[in-house]
Amino acid sequence: MAENVVELTDANFAAEVEQAEGVCLVDFWAEWCPPCRMVGPIIEELAGEYAGKVKVGKVDCDPNRETAGKFGITAIPSLIIFKGGEVAKRFIGVTAKDSLKAALDEALA
Amino acid sequence: MSNPKTYDVVIVGAAAAGLAAGIYAGRDRYKTAILEKDPFPGGQIMLTAHIANFPGHERITGPDLIQKMRNQAEGFGAEILVGQAVTGLRRGDDGVLEVEVESTGSSYRARAVILAPGSQYRQLGVPGETELRQAGRVSYCAVCDGPFYRDKHVLVVGGGNTAVEDAIYLATQFACRVTLIHRRREFRAQRILVEELYETAKTGTLDVKLPYVPKAIVADDTGAAIDHVVLENVETSETESLAVDGVFILVGTVPNTEFLRGTVDMDDRGYIACDPQTLQTSVPGVFVAGDCRAGAAMQLATACADGVLAALQAKEYLRNPQAWTETRAERTPVQGY
Repeated sequence: MAENVVELTDANFAAEVEQAEGVCLVDFWAEWCPPCRMVGPIIEELAGEYAGKVKVGKVDCDPNRETAGKFGITAIPSLIIFKGGEVAKRFIGVTAKDSLKAALDEALA
Repeated sequence: MSNPKTYDVVIVGAAAAGLAAGIYAGRDRYKTAILEKDPFPGGQIMLTAHIANFPGHERITGPDLIQKMRNQAEGFGAEILVGQAVTGLRRGDDGVLEVEVESTGSSYRARAVILAPGSQYRQLGVPGETELRQAGRVSYCAVCDGPFYRDKHVLVVGGGNTAVEDAIYLATQFACRVTLIHRRREFRAQRILVEELYETAKTGTLDVKLPYVPKAIVADDTGAAIDHVVLENVETSETESLAVDGVFILVGTVPNTEFLRGTVDMDDRGYIACDPQTLQTSVPGVFVAGDCRAGAAMQLATACADGVLAALQAKEYLRNPQAWTETRAERTPVQGY
C-alpha cells in the first residue's frame, strides 16, 4: 500500500473512518476487478495531494465482506467520501480525478 | 502550450489496437507516443476474465495480455503516456498535426496520427437504470461485480458473446439463479457459447427468455435495491415483472469518438469513416484502428490487426506524405465494408 493510503479492514474500519471527525475517501476494490486497477493510481495521487487534509484508505472487498456489505457494495470500484463518519458522496465505476477533487473540496469547505 | 514535443507517430488510445500499432511503429524506429485517457492502458479487454479465441493463446486473461503488449510496445521504444484525454486534433501551419490535451495543458506534434480510442459499454436507457447504477445494482461488468451476487438472482441482458459468456460465468460461479433475456429469438454469440449456454440451462440455475427486452428497472422503497424488472415480450407486447437482486447489462458498446466530432468524418453512430484498404480517415495522415472505426469486427484479433495495418500505412504516408494528400484526399472515404 502506497504512502498516505491506509489499509482498511473489518477490524479497523470503525476506528479509522466511522469515528473519524474529518473527511475520508475510501476506495472499495478487489483483486479480480480490472477497472479498480485503473482507479488505484488516482487514489494514490489524491492521497498525496490531500495529505494532512483528507484520510485516504482502501478496502479490499474480498477479505472484508462485512464492511463491504455494511455499505451495500455490489459494484466496484465504489468510492465513498465520508464526512464526520457519515457517507457524504458515492461514486461508482472509473471516476475522473477532477470529479473526485471537486467532491473532496466540497466536503472540506 | 510552449514547445510541444514532436513525434513521428502519435497514437490516441492504449488498448489492443493502439498497443499493436505502437509495437509496429516503435519497431520501425519511429518516435512514437501512445496517449491514454485512463490512468491505466488496456481499455475494454481489461474486463475480460478469459480470452479463448486469440490465435496462439489457448487461454489468457485480458490484463495479462495487455501487460505483454505493453511490454512489447515499450520494449520497442514507444512511450505510453496515461491520463491524457485528447480534446483536439488539428493541422498546424507547417502541416504537422497537433494533438491537444486540455486537462493537462499538453500538446503533441505528430507527423502522422493513429486514432484508436476504442469503445465503451452501451447503456440501455430504460427508466431506473441510472439510479440503480448509482446504487450499485446495475452493472456493466460481470467480472467486476459477479462475486457480489453469491446465491442471488440476477438478470443478464444481451445476445452477443459477452452476454452469453457472462450469463454462464455468473450461473456457474456465483448466482443461484440467472435469467438471460435477449430481444431476438437467435443469439448473435458464437455457436460454441450458445451450446454451452443451453448445457448450463439444463442444470436449472439458468433460464433463457426470448425474445424479451427490459422496459424498466424498479427500485424498492429504500431506493437502494431492485424490487423488480419489467420485461416485455417483443412479439406479443405483453409485459411481466421479474424480481431480481441485480441486473447485468451486456448489450455491446459505443465508440469513444465524441472528442473527434467535426475533426474526422464519422457515420451517424459515431464510428470513424475510413478507406478499408488503408484505414486512412478523411484527414490525410490520420489513420484509425480498432472498435471505433466503421466496419470494425469488434474482436481482439481484428483490433490488433487494425493497429498493425494503420502503423504500416502510416509508414507509407511518412515516406511520401505529398502523394497521399494529392491523390487520396479527393477520394470519398468508404464507410465500412
